[in-house]
Amino acid sequence: MSFLTVDRLNQVYTDVYTNEHTVAIDDVSFTIPAGEFVSLIGPSGCGKTTVLNIVAGFVEATGGAVQLEGVPVAGPGPDRGVVFQDFALFPWKTVLANVAFGLKMNGVGKAERQATAQEMIDLVGLSGFERKFPHELSGGMRQRAAVARVLATEPSIMLMDEPFASVDAQTRRVLQQEVLRIWDLRRTTVLFVTHDVDEAVFMSDRVIVLSTRPSQVQADIRIPIERPRSWTDMHTNEDFVSIRRELMGMLGVEGAEVAP
Amino acid sequence: MTMTHKIRTRARVESAAWFLSPFVVLLAAWLVAIPALDVSPRTFPSAPAVWSALVDQTAAGELIPHVLSSLGRVFLGAGIAVAVGVPAGLLMGMSAALSTFFSPLLRFSVALAGIAWIPLATLWLGYGNGAVVFVVFNAVFFAIVYNSMLGVRQTGTSLLRAARSLGASRWQMFWEVYLPGALPNIVTGLRVGLGFAWRGLIAAEIIATSTGLGYTLFLARQYYETDVIILMMILIGVLWLVMDRLLLAPFERRTIQRWSGERKARA
Amino acid sequence: MSVQTTAKTSRPDPPRRTGTSAAARWRALRRRPLVTTLFPFAVVIAVWAVVAELGVFPSAFFVGPATVADSLLTSVQRGILPAYIVDSLTRLAVGTGVGLLVGVALGFLIGLNRHARRFSWPLLLFFQAIGDIAWLPIVIIWFGFSLTSVTVVIVYTVVFPLIISIVAGLDAIPTNLLRAASSLGASRWRMFWEVYVPGALPGLSSGVRTGLGYGWRALIAAEIIIGTSGVGFMMFDARRQGDVSHVFVGMAVLGVLWYMTDALVLAPLEKETVERWGLVEGIGR
Repeated sequence: MSFLTVDRLNQVYTDVYTNEHTVAIDDVSFTIPAGEFVSLIGPSGCGKTTVLNIVAGFVEATGGAVQLEGVPVAGPGPDRGVVFQDFALFPWKTVLANVAFGLKMNGVGKAERQATAQEMIDLVGLSGFERKFPHELSGGMRQRAAVARVLATEPSIMLMDEPFASVDAQTRRVLQQEVLRIWDLRRTTVLFVTHDVDEAVFMSDRVIVLSTRPSQVQADIRIPIERPRSWTDMHTNEDFVSIRRELMGMLGVEGAEVAP
Repeated sequence: MTMTHKIRTRARVESAAWFLSPFVVLLAAWLVAIPALDVSPRTFPSAPAVWSALVDQTAAGELIPHVLSSLGRVFLGAGIAVAVGVPAGLLMGMSAALSTFFSPLLRFSVALAGIAWIPLATLWLGYGNGAVVFVVFNAVFFAIVYNSMLGVRQTGTSLLRAARSLGASRWQMFWEVYLPGALPNIVTGLRVGLGFAWRGLIAAEIIATSTGLGYTLFLARQYYETDVIILMMILIGVLWLVMDRLLLAPFERRTIQRWSGERKARA
Repeated sequence: MSVQTTAKTSRPDPPRRTGTSAAARWRALRRRPLVTTLFPFAVVIAVWAVVAELGVFPSAFFVGPATVADSLLTSVQRGILPAYIVDSLTRLAVGTGVGLLVGVALGFLIGLNRHARRFSWPLLLFFQAIGDIAWLPIVIIWFGFSLTSVTVVIVYTVVFPLIISIVAGLDAIPTNLLRAASSLGASRWRMFWEVYVPGALPGLSSGVRTGLGYGWRALIAAEIIIGTSGVGFMMFDARRQGDVSHVFVGMAVLGVLWYMTDALVLAPLEKETVERWGLVEGIGR
């Protein structure tokens, strides 16, 4: 049964001064069943983040519909938790208060929300940093806090917008494995936007490839690699190597070889 | 090309109209409220009275000389301040020891600059032009020295190293690195300083001279000529808006915007 | 922002100077912030004393620190100066307090409501441009040579920078923070208190700083022109009598008062908000 349905999405921007129309998203449809981890990749500027913003309710589409569990999406809400590339942690709140924020907004009592927030902080491995302010944390730790904040409200689906693009390469690998570990425990449905092919293949059950603007769904590829996955043996995994090569070809990166 | 041009122009006209519309509303309210509430001209003038004050003063040949003498003082005082203050600030900034030494003194002076100097200025230079120009000068001077110095100190270490390793002499460093690097700060300093200077000018003209906008403004108070007072206030506001919004703000935006990429790279 | 970023020029000490030598101790002392702040003032006072002693300027125009200290002491003993300081500070505090109430309310209204912003922004720029001191004559006509007139002018001075800074602060809140809050289920009311208010605090604190900077200048001008009491009045009164030393006393007092306002009010406010949250490191000080 499909859980998230994106149906014939279309987005046209109109320049207020020149009245020129730019078609960002031409026609994008896909569905995600419950519990699946799906990545959305595509060349830069193809509108993958716009798709995510429409699903999140931040941007209203000029055409098409988004349904979550059969209910049309209208505006942002806690049923769709968003993890941002720039973390979007409240600088004036401690890690604990940031993680508890969603619960507070939804009227959960203080003791209960602190307990839940603490549980999430432990889950993402930030124990001991509860009282720190975001600017006192490294990029990787900030993103862990942002993930914890979303998990705390138990969303039906998690929307992740290039969440590891602002952290360094080593931390990125660690975080990718960490997110998979947490995801394995809870099996929340995930829509994951990235421009990194390796990341998409490593993390996902399915990879949806968008074409250049005006974008359409170019391919929808299932990743049959067994879980739990780890970077240590990924580059020798035949599925990984072949799917990676196939995707690189689609994105126009010809002659791409597997990095050592 | 001409099509987009036309659309651009229309957009500009539209935004100007939006900018002016609140003033039209205000003017209408003024025209209606004064007769409706039967306000005495000793409390607040009617709009036509202010208009005729403008016409009378201009016809009598009084207004223009006052405006010019005020503007002349600002340009003279600020001009000297920039000419002296920018090089002084840059040189201070180029030396770590000097900038550490002068930094607290300058912060103190910026806080004190302008109006607080009026008693001393009139004591030293007597009542008259000299004292007013001095007050303007000193309001701009400290702000611009401090900000020029700060601008040099904030120029990124890697930029300085790059310039040195490319073989820039000390003199070249000054012109090619320190001055352009500090320019956004210098303009900010000029804006802050002129903000203090403009207020200082009005205050000093009230206290210490017999020409200028501030003088006319305060003289009118003695005879309860509220129409002249409001006229002068409008003039003061319009002149400052023209200086700040049409000259300084675009200049500041341009320098900061043009180099903002560089600024970000430093941070 | 920090002016003390001088690491690139620090050289290792020459070997002949040991760590315990007087020179080394002297340098160590100079590096302490209080000393680095006060030392330049000590030098300036010393230079001032020498210039006054040499009689470069006639004593009717320029007096030395000893004379100024003497005048300071007498006016403190007579109780004139303390009373004037209390007068000035009360006016500034009342004016700033009322200005804060009005400015904060209007700042949020204009910053958050698109229509209010569109209508009032041009007016705001214009009325700010008129400047506090230009209002003094008509305010005197309305309220006479009174405390009310002084307060009205200070309120006017404080309100505009405050509104403009709060609006700028609200504009500077990153879109993703607002999106994050609404996607976590924040209602409009919650958004206001949890995101807009703390997000605007850095703007608020810089607005208070600018406002006070203009505010006390307006106070000095008003005290000189309205002239009944206060530090500004004392300075101008002294000037009329050709009493230079009291003019100097007045300037020193103003400087010290500003430093105290900065250290006791502005700096802690910024430390608690801006610096603690890592938004800007030590703004403009």
